[in-house]
Amino acid sequence: MIHLISRRRIVAAAMAGTLALALVACAQPSPPPSTASSASAPGTDANNPFGVAPGSSVEVYGFDGGFGTEWLSFAAAAAQKNLSDVTFTVTPTTKLMTELQPRFVAKNPPDVIDNTGADAIPFASIIDQLETLDDLWAATNYDGDKISDAVFGGVDKAGTSDGKFIRLNYALTVFGLFHSKTLFEANGWEAPKTWDDLATLCTAAKAKDKYLFTFGKEAVSYYGWLVLDSAIKQGGIGVMNDIANLKPGAWSAPAVKDALTKLEALIKDGCMVPGGSGTQFTQAQAQFSQEQKALLYPSGSWLESEMKDATAPDFQMTITPFPLLDPATAAMPYEAIQASGAEPLSVTKDGANPAGGKEFLRAVLSKEAATNFSKTTGSLSVVKTAEIPADGWGSSQLASSMSAMSAAGSNVFAWIGDTYSIYYGIQDSVLWASFLDGSITAEKFIAGEEELSAAAAADTSITKMVYDYS
Amino acid sequence: MTKPTATVSPDSPPKAVRRRRRLTFDKASFMAVFVLLPLAVFTLFELVPLVQALYYALTDWAGYSPDMNFVGLTNFAAMFSDPLFMKSLRNSVILAAVVPTITLVCSFVIAAVVTTGGPSTGRIQGLKGSGFYRVVSFFPYCVPAIVIGIIWSQIYDPQRGLLNGLLSALGFDFQGFPWLGKVDTAMPASIMVIIWGSIGFYTVLFVAAIKGIPAELYEAARMDGAGRFRSAISVTLPNMLSSLQTGYIYLGLMAIDAFIYMVALNPLGGPDYSTWTMTQNLYNTAFFKGKFGYSTAQGVALAIVTLAYAGIIALIFRLARGRDDGTDRA
Repeated sequence: MIHLISRRRIVAAAMAGTLALALVACAQPSPPPSTASSASAPGTDANNPFGVAPGSSVEVYGFDGGFGTEWLSFAAAAAQKNLSDVTFTVTPTTKLMTELQPRFVAKNPPDVIDNTGADAIPFASIIDQLETLDDLWAATNYDGDKISDAVFGGVDKAGTSDGKFIRLNYALTVFGLFHSKTLFEANGWEAPKTWDDLATLCTAAKAKDKYLFTFGKEAVSYYGWLVLDSAIKQGGIGVMNDIANLKPGAWSAPAVKDALTKLEALIKDGCMVPGGSGTQFTQAQAQFSQEQKALLYPSGSWLESEMKDATAPDFQMTITPFPLLDPATAAMPYEAIQASGAEPLSVTKDGANPAGGKEFLRAVLSKEAATNFSKTTGSLSVVKTAEIPADGWGSSQLASSMSAMSAAGSNVFAWIGDTYSIYYGIQDSVLWASFLDGSITAEKFIAGEEELSAAAAADTSITKMVYDYS
Repeated sequence: MTKPTATVSPDSPPKAVRRRRRLTFDKASFMAVFVLLPLAVFTLFELVPLVQALYYALTDWAGYSPDMNFVGLTNFAAMFSDPLFMKSLRNSVILAAVVPTITLVCSFVIAAVVTTGGPSTGRIQGLKGSGFYRVVSFFPYCVPAIVIGIIWSQIYDPQRGLLNGLLSALGFDFQGFPWLGKVDTAMPASIMVIIWGSIGFYTVLFVAAIKGIPAELYEAARMDGAGRFRSAISVTLPNMLSSLQTGYIYLGLMAIDAFIYMVALNPLGGPDYSTWTMTQNLYNTAFFKGKFGYSTAQGVALAIVTLAYAGIIALIFRLARGRDDGTDRA
């Protein structure tokens, strides 16, 4: 999981360069001479539901990281257009905590903060200084859609701490199984919906002198996502809660055991490119994206940009949900998918203009701003009304992520972004590597995981957490 | 400064002279610059952190807050029941035993050949073109360890690596064999990389040592009928034991560390933690498991292992030199 974070940062760093130019172009637009619109009481004006005072200004602090801040400036310009007598400014920074801690202390914070990055302010310490966003959810965006209907499911839940909905995770990372649409179409294959499909596909791959899967030694935990997400879809999110809460026997729950046994059968059957435990992970990913030696690879939506320079021409990288163990008895449909948010936006209570802050979020959550976000960053946002063309502006990942999310509807869950293993310092990569290269059986693997969980449970030096991913 | 402090009148009592000497500015400033200042720096940057580390090793400090409880020797006791630590200890001992031995044997052979392996008549000299071999053998040492690690992790790549390609071309079926991914081969393959990266420096060190051996010794040996091999064993080797000992200790310390190489080759510890070193375990315990106290205790254990290693090597060489110890210390 450590790798996941660092990898996303790398992708992020690469994007930052591209956006730097765009940033310069997006200076603060000066308010055009407006036809004086009268200020109105909160909730009466559809154009100004929060009652932003005319002549006031709204200060937005954006994290200038992987996604840059151009998307914030774009939204600010849209908000400016809507309320021409209010000034919206976006300040890019990478030192959020350093710059804003004194302002929070002085009760003079900016109105909106994009609280992320290495210097983010711990949410726990400012929960009481943030506005709850429930009224935002009830408001409409610039397209006239009720905001709670315009976003994917689970956004408010993911942004709730201590019972208060205080942050809006705007960017969306989708997790699933990747394949090349072109390769699959050329061979008449279909993306696997069940583990039985995986076995069938493995046989088909062998006939073409290919393999089903590949793995690299630093990224073995991706197969943990495959196994656990399939188990969650079979047995419900409780399966994951038990594992995260270190419940003895959680790893031998029927759904988890079933997924592991099925994966073991595939490994035994020679469905993995040999030598993964000695292969660097990007080399392994290139076996998927460039050599096309492996048909499938479990990962997250950053994979396309990560492998940009090592992808075969006309390789349409497509993400699909992880397969089901048994469609007849599964707790969730095949379309259920894991997606977690990033770039949390919050409105401060003590800022000069909380209403203005919410007005800004209304702009961010509109179709135009969300479309712009995806277009410029290559990432999905939580706004489901965003108009992403079928070719995803050249990113098949973006287009397929969007359709996977739309198909999932409310069947969205997330645990990778808030995993128990990082919290408890449980490291199971070596175990995974041994399992994936066939050195140990599923049974031994389960015993190993149980041992790690038991050791963490017995460690009195770490305060126990209660995880509930539902 | 020009005051002739050294002139002592025969009448004055010696005590007074000593006192006056102690008081001169010369002497005081010399003391301040060459004794007190280094001592202060040493105390501040060596002793204080050392004592601090010893203290942290006895606490349960988590690293991100000033709170810590004194737990006595709990951390040290925990090490012995920690399978990961014991494995890393075992791996570090293997590294300390194998890496210096093979490296130094190779370096000695190369150094002997390029300095004394030349024609058996005339001046004592190395092989023809020995300068070239010396440069070639030194070359890997000029490459940073992390780069060496990355290069070799690519060479060892199961599918596209140079090594498997070569072996396959020679008719062996090694396609897809994960050198760094099998318990039996991961450690030997990693050791091979460290040796490859270290031979050059010790070759140069030994060449310098051999050049310091008087040519007469070789000439005398030659007259007595000694061949090149006999000369190397009976003349070269005994005359460069100090360099060998230095090499053994330095290389051993480097091998016990081995952090950079291992992080580049097998960042997660290799298959079944077969290449996991004490330094990796220590780093991991502190920064990923948030147990700085326990990690510091491992650091103390690492220091003990290192000191023990240096002691054993010194003892072995003392025994090898026999009674006349000290005479050939350079």
